[in-house]
Amino acid sequence: MSLVFMPEDMDWVCEPCGERLTPGKVELNYLGNVFHVELPVCPKCGFVYLYEDLAMGRVLEVEQLLEDK
Amino acid sequence: MDQKELREWEARCIQEEPPACRAGCPLNVDARAFVLAMADNDFDAARGVLEKSMPLAAVTARLCEAPCEVFCVRANLGGAIAVGGLERLCIRETRPKGKILRLPARPKKVAVFGSGPSSLTVAFDLAKKGYPISVYHLGVKPGGWLRELPDSFLPQSILDEELERLGTLHVTFVSVPALDATLVQAHEADAVYVGQDDTLAPDLAALLGPPDPDTLALERSGWFTGGMEGREHRFISAVSHGREAAVSMDRFLQNASLTSSRVPLRSGRTALFTRTDGVEPVKRIIPADPVGYNREEGRSEASRCLDCQCLECVRHCAYLAEHGAYPKSYARRVFNNSAIVQGIRQANTFINSCSLCGQCEVLCPNDFSMADMCLDARREMVSLKRMPPSAHWFALEEMRSAKDGQAALIRHAPGTNESVALFFPGCQLSGIRPDQTLKLYERLLELEPRTGIWLDCCAAPAHWAGRAEEFAGLLAGMEKLWAGMGRPKLVTACSTCLKVFSEHRPDFGAVSVWTLLAGEAVAPGAARPALALSDPCTSRHDSATRDAVRCLLDKLGQPLSPLAMSGELTECCGFGGLMDNANPALARKVAEARVAQSDADFLTYCAMCRDQLAKTGKPVLHILDLLFPELARPASEPPAGISLRRVNRRQLKDAVLGRHGLDRGARQPWEDVRLAISAPVAALLEERRILEDDVRQVLYAASRSGRVLRHGTDSRVVAAARLGEVTFWVEYREGEGGFEILKAWSHRMRISGGDL
Repeated sequence: MSLVFMPEDMDWVCEPCGERLTPGKVELNYLGNVFHVELPVCPKCGFVYLYEDLAMGRVLEVEQLLEDK
Repeated sequence: MDQKELREWEARCIQEEPPACRAGCPLNVDARAFVLAMADNDFDAARGVLEKSMPLAAVTARLCEAPCEVFCVRANLGGAIAVGGLERLCIRETRPKGKILRLPARPKKVAVFGSGPSSLTVAFDLAKKGYPISVYHLGVKPGGWLRELPDSFLPQSILDEELERLGTLHVTFVSVPALDATLVQAHEADAVYVGQDDTLAPDLAALLGPPDPDTLALERSGWFTGGMEGREHRFISAVSHGREAAVSMDRFLQNASLTSSRVPLRSGRTALFTRTDGVEPVKRIIPADPVGYNREEGRSEASRCLDCQCLECVRHCAYLAEHGAYPKSYARRVFNNSAIVQGIRQANTFINSCSLCGQCEVLCPNDFSMADMCLDARREMVSLKRMPPSAHWFALEEMRSAKDGQAALIRHAPGTNESVALFFPGCQLSGIRPDQTLKLYERLLELEPRTGIWLDCCAAPAHWAGRAEEFAGLLAGMEKLWAGMGRPKLVTACSTCLKVFSEHRPDFGAVSVWTLLAGEAVAPGAARPALALSDPCTSRHDSATRDAVRCLLDKLGQPLSPLAMSGELTECCGFGGLMDNANPALARKVAEARVAQSDADFLTYCAMCRDQLAKTGKPVLHILDLLFPELARPASEPPAGISLRRVNRRQLKDAVLGRHGLDRGARQPWEDVRLAISAPVAALLEERRILEDDVRQVLYAASRSGRVLRHGTDSRVVAAARLGEVTFWVEYREGEGGFEILKAWSHRMRISGGDL
C-alpha cells in the first residue's frame, strides 16, 4: 500500500471542531496486519475521513487479499 | 481435505477417463484429440497427436487397422468414425514434426532380433529412452514383411525414411544370414528381444517357449519376445507386443518389477460416460476415391466425432462451467487451497460459491457431490479460522436479525394455550411476503385452530457457511423453544427450512404447508396461461412436497409449461449455499440461465427463489399469488430489497402480536430516523449490502455525538459509525422531510485509535 491517499475534494470541515481536514498519519489494521498511511484527518480531534473511492477501491482490495491469505 | 480424501474425490469424477477410442487403442493414441484436430483442419496438430504415441508414425498410421473403431460411441449413430482412414489422410498430407527426442544415453545395451513391426517398435521405444540398440535383420534392408507390401499401402521410400530417423536414435542395423539360436545366445546384450513377426530359424523358434502373457518375458532372464501369430490385427497387434515388451525390458534393465503398478491394456474399457440422447445419426463419409479421403472428405468425416466427454454436471451448472473445469480438477483446487501454508488461497471464493444444491450429484453417473466437498471445505476453513470474514457475513447478519427479538416470535394461536401444529413460515417468506404469510396462517387456523406460529430462521445460513458449531447451537436453542410449546409438529412454508429440520431435527416432525393444503378443498383460480414451475433446489429429494404442489396447482386449475430441469434435477436460483453472498455476479448468471430455460412466466413455492429469479426481470409468481388472488402481487414486481425484508419481518411480528393485543415493546431508538432515498441510491445500497437500518444507525449515532464532516461550500454532510465488524459511512443532506441520502459506503478495515 503506498502511503498517501487524499480525495480530490478536501474541502471538509470537522464538526464540532471547526477545523478543515489536513493530511495526517493514520494506522489502519485488519486481521492482524497494520498499515501506516496518510489520510485526511481533523488536526484537532484526529477524526479520519476514509472517503468512498478509497474504501470501495484500494481498501476493499487489500481487505480481500488479507482475507484470502 | 487430506491426500487420501483427495484421491477418493478424484476417483469419483470420470471426466478424465479416456474416450472409448483411446481406450480401444493398444498404443493409447488419443484418437479423440486426433480426430478433433482433423475436424479443425489442423492436420499438423493431428500428426502431432499420432507421433506422440505411435512408433514410426509414418509407417504405423499407414498400416494401423484401427481397432479403436469397434468401440466408437458413434457406431450406432451413422457408423464409427473412420479413424484408420483419417490416419492415412493425415500422414499422407503432412511431414514428420522434426527430430525425435532421445533421453540421455544409458549404459545398458539392447539387442533386437528380427525387424518386423514388433521389433522396430521395441527399437524405437527403447532407443528413445537412451538405450543403444542393435537390430539384427534378414536381407539387405530391415523391415521384414513390411518390405513385401505394395507401394499403395506403404511406399518403400517412406519406410526407408522412417528407419533412417530411427538410426538417428543410436539404433544400429546389422544384416545377418539367419535369425537363429546361435546368434541370439552368443549375444552379450543386457536385454534381448526376439520378434516372431519375422522369419526365425526353427531352432530359435523352438528355443523360445511361451512368454509370460502380461510381460512377454521369456523364461531366460533378460529375454523377451512378441509378434506371435494368431492375433486379430497382424500389424497393430505386433506393434502392441513390441510396446509391451519394451515396457518390460526397460523395467528389467532398471531392476524394477515387471508387473508392479503396470497399467494393463484397456481393450476399450473406460468408465467415461457420454450422453448420446438427442444426437442425430450422421452417416459415415465414404471416400470418392477408393485410395482414401481427400482433405474435404476427411474434415467432414472427422466432424462427425462426438468429442466424447462426460461433463454431465458441468453442462447444467453455471457454477461448474464458470470455473472452466470439472469436479476432478476442482477437487485438486480444494485440496491445494487447504494445503497451502503461505500465500494467497486462490480457491476460497470458488469453495464459497457453490450453491450446495446437489444437482451435480443426481446428474453424475458416479454421484460426485460438489455440495458435500465444498461444505466440508467450508467447515474446515471455519475450524482453522481461515474462512474470509466477509464471505457469508451479510447472510449471517440477516439470519441473526431474523432470530432476534425484533423479528422472532413463538406463540400459541390467540385464545389457546396449546398448539397441535406450529406454523414456521421461514424468515424469507416473512421478509418478502408478510401479508401473504399472515393470510396463510389464517388459512391454517381455519383448518386447525390450535396452530401456533413461530417466526424465526431455521439457521440454514450457519449450516451453509460451514459454521457447524454455531448451527448446532442454534438448533439446540430452537429445540428448547419448540419443547416449550409442547412439541407440536412443524408446518413449514419454505423448502429450505423443511430440509434443515428433516435432516437435522427429525423430532420436529416438520411437514410442508403445501402438503397440508393439497389435502384440502381449493377454489379454482382464474384462467391463466401456463407457467413454468421451478422447484426450489432444497426440494430436490422431497418428492412428497413437489407432488403436493402439483396437486394444489391442479386443483387451482393452473396449467404448467414444461421445464426441463425440474423435480430431482431442478436448479438453484443462485441463493442456495449462500452463493449470492460469496459471489453475487455468479448468482445473477445462475438465475439468468435458469429463467432462460422457458419462455413462459415462472412460478415457484420458495420466496427466495421468487425474488432471485425476478431479479433478472423475468415475470415470476409465488404460489401464494395463486392461492390468495386478493393479495396477489404482479409477476413483474421487483424483488423486495434487503432493507425492506428487515422492516417486513418486524411488521409481521407487530401484526401477529397485535392479534393478541400485544406490542413488540421498546423500539430501537434509531428506528424513527427518517430517510429520503432516491431509486439510484437505493440500488447502490442494495449492491453494497448497506441496510437503511445501518444508515439510520449511523445518522442516529452522529446526532448523538455531534461529530460529522461538513462540506465547506455546499450542504453535504458525512457521518460514520462502526456497527459490529463494519464501519459505515453516509453522505447526506439535512432536509425537512428527513435525511436525503446521497451515498453510503463501508469497509472492514479498522482505523487504529479511530473514535467513530
